[in-house]
Amino acid sequence: MVTDPSAVPDKSNVLGQVLAQRERVAARLAQVERILAVMSGKGGVGKSALTANLAVALAMGGRAVGVLDADINGASAAAMLGARRQKLEITPNGVRPAIGVCDIRVMSMDLFLPDDDTPVRWQHPGGLAADQFVWRGTMEANALREFLSDTEWETLDYLLLDLPPGADRFDTVARLVPQLTSASTGGTIVVTIPSRVSHLVVRRTIAAAREAGAHLIGLIENMAGYVGEGGQVVGELFPDGRGAALADDFGIPYLGSVPFDPRLARETDSGRPFVIEHAESTAGRAILNIAAILLQERN
Amino acid sequence: MKFICQSDHTVMEFVENITSESGGSMSIMFQCPTCGRGIAMVTNLGETQLVRSLGVTIGHEALATAPEPMSMIRSALTGQSSPLTSPAGPEPVWSEAALKRLSAAPTFVQGMIRRLYTDYARQKGYPEITPAVMNEARETLGMTGM
Repeated sequence: MVTDPSAVPDKSNVLGQVLAQRERVAARLAQVERILAVMSGKGGVGKSALTANLAVALAMGGRAVGVLDADINGASAAAMLGARRQKLEITPNGVRPAIGVCDIRVMSMDLFLPDDDTPVRWQHPGGLAADQFVWRGTMEANALREFLSDTEWETLDYLLLDLPPGADRFDTVARLVPQLTSASTGGTIVVTIPSRVSHLVVRRTIAAAREAGAHLIGLIENMAGYVGEGGQVVGELFPDGRGAALADDFGIPYLGSVPFDPRLARETDSGRPFVIEHAESTAGRAILNIAAILLQERN
Repeated sequence: MKFICQSDHTVMEFVENITSESGGSMSIMFQCPTCGRGIAMVTNLGETQLVRSLGVTIGHEALATAPEPMSMIRSALTGQSSPLTSPAGPEPVWSEAALKRLSAAPTFVQGMIRRLYTDYARQKGYPEITPAVMNEARETLGMTGM
């Protein structure tokens, strides 16, 4: 007679391990008041620069802020927040994040790579290099999970997640961070630029996020006009600025437009986000206004 | 996954999990508790990678202790050594003169600079951060304006 297999202890308990992983994420994030995802779906809309500047704007308002760079293959948050040179340290409680400007805690795949020329490459034993695509998504999702659960975020008022391009990204993140689906614990900010192509992609991204239960805080239209040397908007970069209408279409708040200021790109690239020294500029004020909305939204 | 001994109709017990040096396969060994017959299940490259990508371990009492922080990332990134370090020694103390110099930096970068100098002093085994240590770190790390 065969012994009942279900009566034998399952030492691997893979399901239990996966559940334990999620419990570790939940335990770590219990110290975070609000979690905000910044997403677009479309690449190249300035989402990461906006994330860095919004993080600084919130920190300048006296809030404890962390930034998790969820763009595993295009990590830029550490550079934009001036945190690239730091070494990550393991402690009994996890891994200490890098400290960026305004004491913003930063975790990014960039901090794991040894130099500027090394891309993210997952081990591919033997001849499986060509088949990496099979498990790459799982590896990236688990890397994100480890960033969330193993980083010593400590007590934060805000944790901003800079999501990579792709309409499906929210769904992956929301499974790990259910706080993004509730107005009381967080939400998602959508970024677009005033181009029809961007709006097309962003529409689909919003729809996908909504299907996944996202609480959508609102939409930002970035690169809405071009700021000249005098600090004023002198012209349009794109002819189809309909950000407010796009937000209306989905019944979500329009958080505002941010013009393209060359200084924003230059200074954020150098690890000193623009809003620190140009808070009074047109783009700086726009970013601070959006941060103020986020602070109000919390209340 | 479980295996039944065909001789004794008994569920075999997990014995050991050995990962090959290349990391490309695992030999997961089971033994019949009645007759002692053993078998080994050997995973191929794809199966091994699937387990690794889930961040789980096979055949261990895995839930008893949490894995090392960032263990999946550190073990699965290829072509590089892990840049994570353990703090060596106690946190260095900041001298008054060093703190005064730190306070001259813009507020928004003070935390970041403090971390850089602390990391440097700890790596060097300096118990105290003084202006001289700060100068040395600046030169060694190529920091300007700090």
